[in-house]
Amino acid sequence: MPSLPDTDKAPDTAKVPRQRHSAPVVSVRDVEHTYGGGRGTESVTALGPVSLEIPAGEFLVLVGPSGCGKSTLLRLIAGFERASSGEVEVFGEQPEPGSQAGIVFQQPRLFPWRTVGDNVGLALKYAGVPRAERAGRTAELLERVGLADTSGRRIWQISGGQQQRVAIARALAGGKRLLLLDEPFAALDALTRERLQEDLRTVSAETGTTSVFVTHSVDEAVFLGTRTVVLSARPGRVALDIPIGLPRTGTGPDELRGLPEYAALRAEIGTAVRDAAR
Amino acid sequence: MTTPTSVRERAVPAPAGRRPERGARWRRVGLRLVALAVLLALWQLVIVLQLWSPVLVPSPAAVWRALLETSGTHDGVRGYQGHTLIEHLGISLRRIFIGAGAGVVAGLVVGVLMGTLPWVRVVLEPAVAFLRTLPPLAYFSLLIIWFGIDEAPKLWLLAIAAMPPVAVATASAVASAPTALVEAARAIGAGRGQVVTSVVLPSALPEILIGVRLAFGIAYSSVVAAETVNGLPGIGGLIRDAQRYNQSDTVILGLFAIGISGLLIDAGLRVLSDRLAPWRRHA
Repeated sequence: MPSLPDTDKAPDTAKVPRQRHSAPVVSVRDVEHTYGGGRGTESVTALGPVSLEIPAGEFLVLVGPSGCGKSTLLRLIAGFERASSGEVEVFGEQPEPGSQAGIVFQQPRLFPWRTVGDNVGLALKYAGVPRAERAGRTAELLERVGLADTSGRRIWQISGGQQQRVAIARALAGGKRLLLLDEPFAALDALTRERLQEDLRTVSAETGTTSVFVTHSVDEAVFLGTRTVVLSARPGRVALDIPIGLPRTGTGPDELRGLPEYAALRAEIGTAVRDAAR
Repeated sequence: MTTPTSVRERAVPAPAGRRPERGARWRRVGLRLVALAVLLALWQLVIVLQLWSPVLVPSPAAVWRALLETSGTHDGVRGYQGHTLIEHLGISLRRIFIGAGAGVVAGLVVGVLMGTLPWVRVVLEPAVAFLRTLPPLAYFSLLIIWFGIDEAPKLWLLAIAAMPPVAVATASAVASAPTALVEAARAIGAGRGQVVTSVVLPSALPEILIGVRLAFGIAYSSVVAAETVNGLPGIGGLIRDAQRYNQSDTVILGLFAIGISGLLIDAGLRVLSDRLAPWRRHA
């Protein structure tokens, strides 16, 4: 069940005309982002202008050639960077890391000085979960990502795929209604990647958490998303914005990939990405 | 909410155990023992050939006798100047631990401030670098004028000598905290202070511990200098005092005592840093 969108706590009269029947979780308006431009350096426009609205419950996949600014866009939504121009709002607020969204990076970025369980526990602590509840919640979260018996392990004692699962559990720990994932499976081997894709698809369909997922894989976009946005090469602009109307539950991965619609979407998005790279 | 698949991903195999290294390790220990024996034999040979006067180069036996004499009571004289060798060493070690310990703590505080606040770094970096270049003996004279000739100037000397290496190591480690992990901490809602405690300090720990080892090494080499003034009891005082009476056997004994205890402390610190930062070997 998709969770209900956040109702604006402090209605701003200036923004009222923009509000439709339900406010989007993420809204990106005329955003441009430029790097560099300091003394003696030429500035590079990495992104934009881009406008996007992501309603609650959507699983949006951002695809594009490398250097198209898709990761930049995700970092703007996460609040790690401020847009050079334009506006990014998440739940109607200016994004701030750790306050609106759970974030999964390309590398697991776990803390090696903590055990698997303590990595998740720290996220619970910073999310304000009382100490007494943390152990139970940690166990629940680890079970949800398929790592029920690894809580006491050291980070270097588990595989790269397992580390990324822990990173997902850590991102879920905050109980945020938005999940941002930056090529989380790109560094994994093909088998592990497929398994994690299937698991993420299932968890996502069950929880209906609004998600933004960055990848350069067309197949991943069709397989995971409910909507795909293709960004063009630098500076990244929206080249294609297409809903993925595939069944979210009750269809196995092989069956899903065998559907004619799946192949058609793959072809269409693939063509758009190739065109965008030119 | 069940998890769809069982976890079939295999854990990374434990880093190839030390089994194959074991033989090599014992061979190394054996080789070192042989080298030590050869050295002792050469020493004895020098004595037998009477190349130098025994006053300049005492025999191994004379040093051994000095060890026995300074370790107990002989002819109503207890140890050396009323204290046994172990007591002299213990007093020096105590000075090192208190003095260098204070210096390490000060270095940590200064280092963390330098590493996290750029303006503190700008202000303090030259001062710390200046202090680091000074030979401890150079400012010892000033410390004696200020604090007299008892314990205070010795502890201050060791503290001042131990501070800079820890401060420098801490500052550089703290300043170069991995951005990826800092972002990961911010992503789970860590505030400024929490980023320091959850990422910056733990990631800096291995480098800080190297700074601490360096600091203790410097404190060790400074303690003999510190004990040249009113250093008895103390191992440096013992060496200094024995020198005045040309007791080269006792001087050599003191050198061995300092060298061996120094090696033991460094080994201890190394074990401690492996314990405190086990992830370093798995990075």
